[in-house]
Amino acid sequence: MAEIVLRDLVKHFGSVVAVAGVNLRIEDGEFLIMVGPSGCGKTTTLNMISGLETPTSGEIVIGDEVVNELEPGERGLGMVFQDLALFPHMTVFENIAFGLRVKKTDAAEVERRVRAAAEAMFIGALLDKRPSECSGGEAQRVALARTIVNDPSVFLMDEPLSSLDAKLRLDMRTELKHLHHRLRATFVYVTHDQAEAMTMADRIVVMQGGRIEQVGAPLGIYRRPATRFVAGFFGIPTMNFLEGEVVAAAGGGDGLEFRSARVAQPLAASTPSEAAGGTATLGVRAEHVRVSPSDDGAGRVTLTEPLGDETLVFFEFGGAAPLVAKVDPDSPLAPGDPVAFDFDRDWCHLFDAGSGARLN
Amino acid sequence: MAARGSRLRRYRRAWVRHAILLAWTFFIVFPLYWMLSTSFKDSGEWVSWPPHWYPHDFTIHNYRQIFSFSVLGEELARGATDQAFTIWKALGDSLLICAVASFIALVLGVFLAYAISRFAVGGSKFRHIILTIRMVPPIVIAIPILMYYAIMIPFTTEVLFGARIILFDTYFGLGALYVATTLPFVIWMMLSFIDEVPYTLEHAARMMGAGRMYTLRRVVLPLVASGLVVTYLFVFILNWSEFLLALTLTHPEVTTLPVLLNKFQSASEGRLYGPQAAIGTVITIPVVVLGVLIQKHLIKGFSFGMIRK
Repeated sequence: MAEIVLRDLVKHFGSVVAVAGVNLRIEDGEFLIMVGPSGCGKTTTLNMISGLETPTSGEIVIGDEVVNELEPGERGLGMVFQDLALFPHMTVFENIAFGLRVKKTDAAEVERRVRAAAEAMFIGALLDKRPSECSGGEAQRVALARTIVNDPSVFLMDEPLSSLDAKLRLDMRTELKHLHHRLRATFVYVTHDQAEAMTMADRIVVMQGGRIEQVGAPLGIYRRPATRFVAGFFGIPTMNFLEGEVVAAAGGGDGLEFRSARVAQPLAASTPSEAAGGTATLGVRAEHVRVSPSDDGAGRVTLTEPLGDETLVFFEFGGAAPLVAKVDPDSPLAPGDPVAFDFDRDWCHLFDAGSGARLN
Repeated sequence: MAARGSRLRRYRRAWVRHAILLAWTFFIVFPLYWMLSTSFKDSGEWVSWPPHWYPHDFTIHNYRQIFSFSVLGEELARGATDQAFTIWKALGDSLLICAVASFIALVLGVFLAYAISRFAVGGSKFRHIILTIRMVPPIVIAIPILMYYAIMIPFTTEVLFGARIILFDTYFGLGALYVATTLPFVIWMMLSFIDEVPYTLEHAARMMGAGRMYTLRRVVLPLVASGLVVTYLFVFILNWSEFLLALTLTHPEVTTLPVLLNKFQSASEGRLYGPQAAIGTVITIPVVVLGVLIQKHLIKGFSFGMIRK
C-alpha cells in the first residue's frame, strides 16, 4: 500500500512561507502531477514527502504510518531529480547498483537486478560507461533505472524532463506513462509545464503561493478551472479575460449577462443568480470565440498564427488587451480585416474580480 | 600607416613585457642557481672574490658530508672544519612530522570543511574568519607556546597527575602545532572543492538509504579526491619549510631540516656554506617537484575549484 496523505502541511524558510497548509490524498498507484509557477511550493512539498525537507508543521502519512520522523531512505520512496544527480565518478552500473550496495545486497543479486533494470530502460549497452559519456536521454534512463532497481512503491520526480530538448521530452513523456502502467506504482511528479501535466497525469494538483488552487483530472481542470489563476495557467494560447460586471440581461427575463465597455455577453441559464451585481472577470478559451468577417464588426485582426491544424487569430476590439480565437486553417482572415465576434455562452467562465474564485 | 604603427606598438609592447618577465625570472631563479652551484663548490670557493659564477673545482664533497652515516672518516675530513653534520636524523624527523601532521590536519579539515559547507557551521562568515588565524605572525605565538610547552603544561600535569608531561622538543609537540597552524588552509582549500559537489548527489544517496558517513565515503570524498591530494601536498610543503616554530620549540632531540640548516657553522670557517647549500638543495627538490606536479590544481584550489560533472 502506498497511499500518501498530507495533512495541514506547512513549511517556512525563515520568514518566507513556502507551503501554507496543504491537504492532499494521493491514491495508491495514481500518476499525480503537481504543477504551478516557480516558487509555488510544489518542489518543497515533494521534498517534504521525500524527507529531504522537514515540515514546519503538519503530517505526512505513507501507507498507515506517519513518516515525519523517518529518514528519507526509510520511507520506501524512489526519487528522480531535476539535475538527475547521477554520481559522476561511478559507471552506469555502479550508479544503478548504489541503493542495493547500501543495503548490502549480495553480488550476484546486484548483478541480476541491475541488468534487469538496465534492460527495462533499454540501457543495457551503457553499463560500463560514465554518466558524462551518456546523452541527455540516456542519462535520463539511467536515473530512472537507478530508481526502479530499488523497487519503490512511490516514485517522486522533480521536473525530470526539464534538461531534455523538446523532441526528447515528448518521447520521454510517453515512456514515463508506459512505465507507470507497467509498474503500477504511485508517481508523484512535479513540473511547471502545464502541457506535461495535461498529457501524463491521472490527477493534477495546481499550486500557487504555497496553496493548492485546484485538484482534478486534466480535462476537468481544463474545462472547469476553479480559479482565474488555474484558467490562465492551463491551455495554449492563454484564455481570454475581460473585466466587467454581471447584470440582468437587457432583454428582461431571468437571464444574466456579462457587460463591459465594449462587450455584452449573455450567460448560460445555469449561471447562479448570486453572481449578479458584482464586478467579475469573464474567461473564454480561444476555441470558444467565434469570429467572422464583417465590415461593421467591432474587431480588427492584428495578427494570425497558422499552426497547421488550426489558426490563431488575434484581434483588437477596443478593450485592454487583444482577444484570440481559434479558426479553421483555411479561414481567409488577414491582418487589418474587420471582424465580428461572439463567445460560446456555454463555455464562458466567470470569476470573482477580487478573489479570482469561480462564480458559475 | 595606422595598421603598421599599431603593429609596431604591439611588437614593442610584447618586447617590453618579455624583457620584464625575463628580468624577474632571473631575479627569482638566480639565488636558487647560486645555492645549487655552491653545493658543488669546495670550501675555498664559497666566498671567494671575485665570485666564482660556477664551481671551478667541481666536487660532491658537500653531499658526501651531509649524507654520511658516521663521524667523518679520513677521506671526508677537511681538517678542523669538518664535523659530522649528517642530515639523516633531521630528514627522518622532518618527514615524520610533516607527513603525519599534514595527514591529521587533512582529516580534521575535511570534516570541518564539510560541516561548514553543508550546515553553515559557525554562521555564514565563519569560512572567511578561519583564514584570519593565519594573519597572526608565527613569532607572536612561538614564545607563549614555548612557555606552555616548557613550563605551564609540565607544571600543571605534575600538580594534577603527578607526572610531568613535556611537549617541548617532542614530535607530538611540534606536530600538534603544525596541525593547528595548517588547519585553516586545509579548511579553506577543501571548502572550495566540497562546495562544488552538488548536494542533490547527497540527496540522491540519502533517498537510497545511505547514511551521512557512507555518502561522504562513497560520493563526496571520491569527487574531491584531487582536492585532497593537492591540499595534502600544499600543507606538507608549508610544514616542510617551516622554520621559526621548529627552531623555538625543539632542541636537541627533534630537529627538522630547516633548523639543521641553520646550525651549520664552525668556529674557524664561519658558516659552512657548501654543506648548507647541499642541504638547501635537498630540501628544495621535493618542494619544487611537488609544486610543479600540483601547480594546476593549486590555482584551482585557490580560485574555487571546478569539478567536471
